[in-house]
Amino acid sequence: MEVQQHISQQYNKDLKSIKSNVLSMGCLVELQVQNAIYALLNQDQELAKEVSVSDYKINKMEMEIDADCAKVIAKRQPAAGDLRLVIAVVKIITDLERIGDEAEKIGRYAKKMALKEVAAEMHAELSSLGSKVMTILHDTLDSFARMDAQQAIKVVASDAQIDDEFNKISRLLLTHMMESPRNIKHMLRVTWCVRALERIGDHSQNICEHVVYSVNGKDVRHVHLNKPHQGD
Amino acid sequence: MQKSAMINNEIIRKRLAKRYAKERRFRLYGVASITISIAFLLTLLVNISLNGLPAFQQTYINLEVNLDEDILGVTSSSNDKEFLQGNYSKAIKSSLKTLFPNVKGRKNNKALKQLVSSSATYQIRDFVMDNPNMIGTTQSFWFLAKDDIDVFIKGGIDRSLPETDRRIKDLQLIWIDQLLFDQRLEKRFNFTFFTQSDSREPEQAGIKGAVVGSLLVMLVTMLLSFPIGVLAAVYLEEFAPQNNKWVDMIEININNLAAVPSIVFGLLGLAVFIGLFGVPRSVPLVGGLVLTLMTLPTIIITTRAALKAVPYSIREAALALGASRVQMAFHHVVPAAMPGILTGTIIGMAQALGETAPLLMIGMVAFVANVPQGIADPSTVLPVQIYLWSDSPERAFIERTYAAIMVLIGFLVMMNFIAVIMRRIFEKKF
Amino acid sequence: MMNKRSEFDVEINDTKGTPFIDNAKISARNVEVFYEKKQAIFNTSIDIGKNQIVAMIGPSGCGKSTFLRCLNRMNDTIQSCQIRGEIKLDNEDIYARQQDPVLLRARVGMVFQKPNPFSKSIYDNVAYGAKLHGLTSNQVELDDLVEKSLMRAGLFNEVKDDLHKPGTGLSGGQQQRLCIARTIAIDPEVILMDEPTSALDPIATAVIEELMIELSKKYTIVIVTHSMQQAARVSQRTAYFHMGHLIEVNDTNTVFTNPEHQLTENYITGRFG
Repeated sequence: MEVQQHISQQYNKDLKSIKSNVLSMGCLVELQVQNAIYALLNQDQELAKEVSVSDYKINKMEMEIDADCAKVIAKRQPAAGDLRLVIAVVKIITDLERIGDEAEKIGRYAKKMALKEVAAEMHAELSSLGSKVMTILHDTLDSFARMDAQQAIKVVASDAQIDDEFNKISRLLLTHMMESPRNIKHMLRVTWCVRALERIGDHSQNICEHVVYSVNGKDVRHVHLNKPHQGD
Repeated sequence: MQKSAMINNEIIRKRLAKRYAKERRFRLYGVASITISIAFLLTLLVNISLNGLPAFQQTYINLEVNLDEDILGVTSSSNDKEFLQGNYSKAIKSSLKTLFPNVKGRKNNKALKQLVSSSATYQIRDFVMDNPNMIGTTQSFWFLAKDDIDVFIKGGIDRSLPETDRRIKDLQLIWIDQLLFDQRLEKRFNFTFFTQSDSREPEQAGIKGAVVGSLLVMLVTMLLSFPIGVLAAVYLEEFAPQNNKWVDMIEININNLAAVPSIVFGLLGLAVFIGLFGVPRSVPLVGGLVLTLMTLPTIIITTRAALKAVPYSIREAALALGASRVQMAFHHVVPAAMPGILTGTIIGMAQALGETAPLLMIGMVAFVANVPQGIADPSTVLPVQIYLWSDSPERAFIERTYAAIMVLIGFLVMMNFIAVIMRRIFEKKF
Repeated sequence: MMNKRSEFDVEINDTKGTPFIDNAKISARNVEVFYEKKQAIFNTSIDIGKNQIVAMIGPSGCGKSTFLRCLNRMNDTIQSCQIRGEIKLDNEDIYARQQDPVLLRARVGMVFQKPNPFSKSIYDNVAYGAKLHGLTSNQVELDDLVEKSLMRAGLFNEVKDDLHKPGTGLSGGQQQRLCIARTIAIDPEVILMDEPTSALDPIATAVIEELMIELSKKYTIVIVTHSMQQAARVSQRTAYFHMGHLIEVNDTNTVFTNPEHQLTENYITGRFG
């Protein structure tokens, strides 16, 4: 993508700034998710509170990038790769914003759960899921930053692990709830947090699909990825 | 930054004054050139007009002529031959005698007779032949005054000079005064100038022959050079292969021909048309042929320029609709170029109209007293007529020379006017 | 930059995408055009489908106009121009010896970059081609044809009271529609358009584009344009020319969202190259 510059330098700058804004938004989202998971695992009420009120920054960035994209479309009528990039960005920031929402949700539950003891046996599972989600989110942002379709396709494939983990934890939680009905309320909160982490994985997958579209021009959504398309 | 901008401004301001001064000077030069040109033109026109205008008037003398059978030697029953042999000058003589009975001596009588033009006798003859029943009566006639009398009346001869230095004798002065007193001598519009051809007698000389000759020559030139020139130009511009050696050579030669002195065309005409083809000399046909040669390069060059100016898109439009090249050329390109073609043609014609040199070569300089009836009759043309008159010794021919120039200029102006109107018409016809 | 270009030159000889289709109206094979010694078009093969609008885009001097002019033998009028290869219209070789260029141009009409109405009345402009080919037998038919053609070109309502006023007095957009009316009056099968809106304002351009889409129901249209947006808006297929080579032919949607060739991508995204 970067091999050749536009004749219009300003156009170049516009596209570059959109891309770097998406990356900073990604950093922000990553930080939020990281903090949310940390607060959840370590019952850090302060951090949980901070996470639950910081989402506005992400929302603001989403709106800004949206406006930038609209401006570029109106002014430059981007075509081909540029068009795909702008379209992908518009979709990617929606997914990022959703991830931010999920992080906020986790933060809110973590704030409430900080007072109670989490079942010790859940800690390991949550920690494992959290680190997997963090890895996927990181790889996703990385593949976007480098516009690396290969990596993006790998990330999409690895989302299955998260789903497996999610199913495992769900069953475990169900068992816990049946064993100690007084903890059901607490366990439901844990379930929602797990659910939120799983959604973050899904949104990351979506982002990767947008990256693949932007790079290869192939829409890989809702198709089996058994035969991943190779870049041209 | 600010400072350097200010310095720059200062530099520009300083130069600005100079630049404006230069501009003003240039405009001044332009105005001066135009003024000088106009001054020259005005001088020319005023000079020509002042000298030529008197020729449009002619002095006439009124005489009572007794058409007595005995004096004339004809009767109302005479045949044409007898009429032609009648002694009409005797009638004029006796008429003058009755006005001035005291004139004695052969010399004085001759001077008296020379008050009126020699055409007076023909005037009476024609009158008598047309009205034989008037024989025996006394009629009042207005005769042309002799050229010297005419010049004197118009102020061309100074009365105060000694008799030997002027062309009018003292006695004649007395008679003229007497005639003026009797109101028998007056200036009238000079119809003779427009209705008669060349003559040895200035008062009888006119330009009709030359004008008709010029028109005939123009007709021949026009009919030949316009179609030939336009077709040649259209072929060269629209059909001839480009970047072809032969076409280039033809082009160069056409341009060269345009610069050839016109007298060379006259020599060519003499050698080819008269020498080789045996066309009679002095006739409008050969004049027209020679002027065609001379005009062709002008017409071809201007026509080609006009064709070139037609945008290529018009040609493409026609071809794309399926027109052939000839249809393209004659439906679209030539009509679009028509104003330019006509201007070029009329400029060429005007050039031809004013041309003298080549016509001298082919004998159109002869003295021709008759109006030509066709393109094969000997004739002369206006510029040659002017040249002939300018060479004549009689004073009265001077004003006629200028008058003929005025007529020629009038024709040229008319042609240019026609050119303008034609342009208008063709441009409007989109 | 230079390295990049020479790298592309290697693969330049193959046209990417889908240049060939079934039931082509015009099919060009291995067309090469020379101006004296200079080669303007290299080994170009493309099919143009019936009732399609095919857009040809590319930078100035890439040969797209030259190729367009091969399709109705307008290049014949340029003496130094030589054409090799084969162009078939309905499976007839238009460069065959027995093919009359005048007849060909009646079948393949052309609209030019600059509106070029004849300096005649609007009526005569439209009637000219019909008169030339004797398409109508009497005045009534001719009147009818003129009206119909102007109607189809979307101009009739604007000029119906001024049919005998000069065509050159119309506005630019109207003039171009008059030229289109003049072209469709002889009922061609194919209409070639050489940058038909480059001299017009956006409104007039939009009107002409709308007209093109309307006309494509009946005619096959090939348009050369400098405006990529125009190509994107009106055409079904787009061909990209680069330095005399046909680089890529594809569905317009594909060309503008996901072109196959890097040169096409560079051109339509406005990059150097």
